[in-house]
Amino acid sequence: MKLILDLWTIVSVLAGAFFFFAGTVGLLRFPDSLTRLHALSKADNLGLGLVVLGLLPLVGSVAAGIKLIGIWLLVLLSGATASQWIARTLRQSGPGQ
Amino acid sequence: MAEFLVGAAAFILAMVALGLLRILRGPGDADRIMAAQLLGTGGIAAVLLLGAASGEAATADVALTLALLAAFAAFAFVKAKLGQASGESRPTDSQ
Amino acid sequence: MNAAASTQDPPRAIAFWRTAAFFLLWMLLMQSLKRADLVMGGFASIGATWVSLRLLPPSSGSLRFSRLLALLPHFVWESVLAGVDVARRALHPGMPLRPGFVTCPLGFPPGFARNTFATITSLLPGSVAAGEVEGEIVYHCLDTSAPVVEQIWKEERLLARALVAGRHHG
Repeated sequence: MKLILDLWTIVSVLAGAFFFFAGTVGLLRFPDSLTRLHALSKADNLGLGLVVLGLLPLVGSVAAGIKLIGIWLLVLLSGATASQWIARTLRQSGPGQ
Repeated sequence: MAEFLVGAAAFILAMVALGLLRILRGPGDADRIMAAQLLGTGGIAAVLLLGAASGEAATADVALTLALLAAFAAFAFVKAKLGQASGESRPTDSQ
Repeated sequence: MNAAASTQDPPRAIAFWRTAAFFLLWMLLMQSLKRADLVMGGFASIGATWVSLRLLPPSSGSLRFSRLLALLPHFVWESVLAGVDVARRALHPGMPLRPGFVTCPLGFPPGFARNTFATITSLLPGSVAAGEVEGEIVYHCLDTSAPVVEQIWKEERLLARALVAGRHHG
C-alpha cells in the first residue's frame, strides 16, 4: 500500500512539474502578452493541481487534504479572475503588445 | 521520498525563475504583473512540496498567504491601470 | 458565496447564509475547535458578511451554491483540458497558434451573473475573457479556428441553472 501511494505521489508530482515546464516554454515561445497570459494561467494552474493531488497521500488527515484542495481551488478562481482583468487591460492598451 | 519532493520543488522554482526572466523584460506593465501571478502559483507549489518533505503542516498557511498576495497584487494593478485609462467599458463593479 | 440564497429571499436570510458560508470557510482553514479560535471565526465571519453585503448586495444577483458545486467536477476537468491544450501548443515544434479576439453574445445581463460567467469561462481551454463591448463578452483565444463560441454557449446553458441574474442592471 505504501508503495502504491508513493508511486501515486511521484507520478502526480512529476506530471505537475511537467506542466510548470510547459508553461515556462509557452512563456518563452508565445509571441505576445495575451498568448503568454494563457500559458501562465492555464498550464501553471494544472501543474499546481497535480502537485496538490500528489501530496494528498502525505498529509496527516482528511481535513488537511480538503484544505490543500481548497488552496488549489482558490488559486484557480483567483487566477481566472486576475487573468481576465489583465487580459482586459492588455486589450485596451492596444493589440500587438 | 523527501529528496524527491525537494528536487521537484527546486525544478519548479527553476522554471519560475526562467519564466520570470522572460516576463520581467516586458514590454508592458501587464507582463510584470503576470510575473507576480507566476511567482504566486509556482511559489505555492514549491512551498507545499517543501512542507510535505519536512512534515511541517504550517506551510499550507504560507501557501494560502502567497495565493492571497498574488491575487491582491493583480487587482491593485488592474484597478490602477483601468483608473488611468479613459477608455471604453470601464467596469463599474469589481468582483 | 451565499449558499442556496436567491434574490427572492429576505435580506436577513441572505446575511445568515453568507455568515454560515464564511464560518465554514474559516473552519476549513483554521481546523481548530479551541474556543478562542471559534470566537475569532465568528467575528471574522460577521465582518466578512458585512463587507460582502456592501460590495455585493443581494440585488446584484446571486448564485445557487449547491448547483455550482455540482458543476465543479465539470469545470475542474475543463481546466485540466485547458492546461493540456496550452502545453501541447507550447511544446509543439510548429507552435499551432491563431490568436485573436472573438465576441460572444450572451443571455446573462451585466452584473454579478455575467462577471461570474466570464470568470468561469476563462478556465476553458483556449479562451480568456478580455472585457466587454456593447454588452457582449470579448474573449481572447489561442485558436480562433476552434469552435469557441459554440463551446461558450454550451457552458452558458449549464451555468444558467446556477447563476441568478440581479433585479437591476449593473
